[in-house]
Order: sequence, then C-alpha cells, then structure tokens
Amino acid sequence: MLEGKQNGQVFKLPKVILLATNITNVELEKAKAAGFADTVIMKPMRASMAAACLQQVLGIGKKRQAGKNMLNGSMALQGLLCGKKILVVDDNMVHQRVVAGALKKFEVAVECRESGKAALKLLQRPYCFDAYFMDIQMPEMNGFEATHPIRMMESKANKQMNGGMDEDSGRKGEWHVPILAMTADVIHATYDALNAGWMDVSKPFEEAKLYQVVAEFFKSTRSNCFT
Amino acid sequence: MEVGQMQRRLVDYTKSLFMEGFLDAQFLQLQQLQDESNPDFVVEVVSLFFDDSEKLLNDLTMALDQPNVDFKKVDAHVHQLKGSSSSIGAQRVKNACIAFRSFCEEQNIDATLRCLQQVKQEYYLVKNKLETMLRLEQQIVAAGGSIPMIELGF
Repeated sequence: MLEGKQNGQVFKLPKVILLATNITNVELEKAKAAGFADTVIMKPMRASMAAACLQQVLGIGKKRQAGKNMLNGSMALQGLLCGKKILVVDDNMVHQRVVAGALKKFEVAVECRESGKAALKLLQRPYCFDAYFMDIQMPEMNGFEATHPIRMMESKANKQMNGGMDEDSGRKGEWHVPILAMTADVIHATYDALNAGWMDVSKPFEEAKLYQVVAEFFKSTRSNCFT
Repeated sequence: MEVGQMQRRLVDYTKSLFMEGFLDAQFLQLQQLQDESNPDFVVEVVSLFFDDSEKLLNDLTMALDQPNVDFKKVDAHVHQLKGSSSSIGAQRVKNACIAFRSFCEEQNIDATLRCLQQVKQEYYLVKNKLETMLRLEQQIVAAGGSIPMIELGF
C-alpha cells in the first residue's frame, strides 16, 4: 500500500510476519540482532490468530473505541482488514493453503510463494503488500535471510527520505516492518523474541496485549463463527 | 436414511476421530474456515494433504532405501510431513513424525525404517477416516442438508 506524495512522504512498508515450526536460540539471537521480527505466531496457523495478529501489527486495533464489544470483533475486524494485501511465504503447501484460507476469510488479498527467493522477486515492485507472513524454516533461504533485503530496502529508503526531507512537512521516513514469527516452539520464540528486541522500537509490541487480543478473539469466535 | 440421522451419524463419527486422537483442534480451524464463499475449503486442503503426503512417503521410502542413507534429506522430508499433518490437525501422523525426526538425528537406520512404517500406517488410517467423513458430508449435502459444526469445547 503506497501512500503519500513526493516530498515528506509517509510510506507504509509491508509488515513482515515470520512463520516457523521451530526456532532455536541461535536463530532468535539473529533475529534479535537484526530487529526482524515483531511478534511470533505459532504454527500451525489458527484462523483467528492470523487475523488478530495482523490486526495488531497493522495497528488497526488502536483505531477501535475503548470498551467496544468484542462480540462484534469479527465483523469490525473484517471491515478493517478488507482490501489489505498480504504475501504468504511458506514452503509447506498445506500450511500455505491454511494461512491463505484464514486471511481470505477477512477479505484480505493473498499472494503465496513457496520460497524466500520467489518472494523477493515480488519486492521488485515494492510497497504493494501490507504485510508478509514468512516461514522461518525454509530450505534454500530461511525467513531471516528473506527479510534481510526488506530491511535493507527499508533503511535505504529511510535514509533517502530523511536526506531529502521537506522543511515544511518535517516528516521523517518511518519505515515500519513489524514481523510475526510463527513457530511451534512458541515459548522460546514468543517470550524471548518479544522481550528482547524483535519488536520495533517505535511501536513496542506488548505481548500481554497481543495475547489479550487473541484470547478475546478466540472467545468471540466461539459464539460467532466468522459471520 | 433421512438427513437428521445422517447428520447425527456424521457428528458422532467426527467426534470419535477427536476422541481417538486422529484429529486435533487444528482440524476444527479448517472447518471454521469453510463457508458459502469457500464451500470446499476442507476438501481442498485435505486433498492437498493427501497428495503432498503420498509424495513425501514415496520420497522417504526411496531415501531410506539407499545404500548410504542421507539422513538430512530424510529429516527434511519428515519435517515437511510433520508440517502438513500438523496444519490439518492429523495429530497421530504429526506425532509419528516427531518420533521419526529424533531417530533421524541419531542416524539410526533400523529405527527410522520402523518409523517410516509407523508414519505410513498412521497416514493410511487417517486418510481412510477423513475420506469416510467427507463422504458422509457429501451425502448430507446431496440430500439437501447442511454440515453440522462440531463444538468440542477446546
């Protein structure tokens, strides 16, 4: 999603959401250092989790009024996510289909690719996705390696924008790429990753909040199955 | 058999699959994703799982049949199978894959061969169960009924 004008532009870079079945501490350290991931999703992807996490990283939830009834959550969520474009990168075709199904439920436009390499080709026409869901463990290029070019693009563009800053607008480049890492080993990945700097500094991700959102979402979907 | 009876039979059958551990909560997720705009979602994903698994089981059989077994390759295949089975909620297949992977790590040829047999067995069992379940669903729909949602209190 490309927004903004020539000077003092406000770009919204795609959010990168990593998917993984297992994440070792080594991988976590890498992610920490690189600041890739903002949050972690457990594989296999649960339908309601996909939307809730997406909502959270896209900051959509903050637009909701305080105290809004969560029973209407799924309807409100659908409206807010509708029209977003997501890239799902997962070498497991079955899981890819499940993730795509979960997102399509909310009328998200989903593209799928089987590898980091294939996904990076889509970056050549940048800014067309609102988020990436990326598997961490892929054979040729894992999730971290695939998000690296995205980060590079981000910081490069930030520098460019900050360099050519319009004096009136005073806007700094704020490339924001939150990452959701999906993993079966959720305890390691979630607590370590969220606490230790996977979160974007400008928009700290509150783990408790995420779980609250997701938990409430699960509650609401029990009685209100994605109507 | 009238629709109500068929529906009850389906519900009982599906519940038994959960009770016996063939399926876990993830399968419910798939069912929840099926609706009027996506009426064949479960069948599509399950069919994809069948195709994917059968290919992987063939690859595994071949890989373990080599004079010098490449355990990394074997592990990679099992990893895939674990991923797809877990994605559709095929719990027993997934668990068999977990055990399989630990023996791959040990590079234990006898144990991995046994694991392959175990995984195959679990796969064909769940395949059979899912096909039966989907057939029951088709019969209900053909008779003009709707597929009941399972609430298992997960």
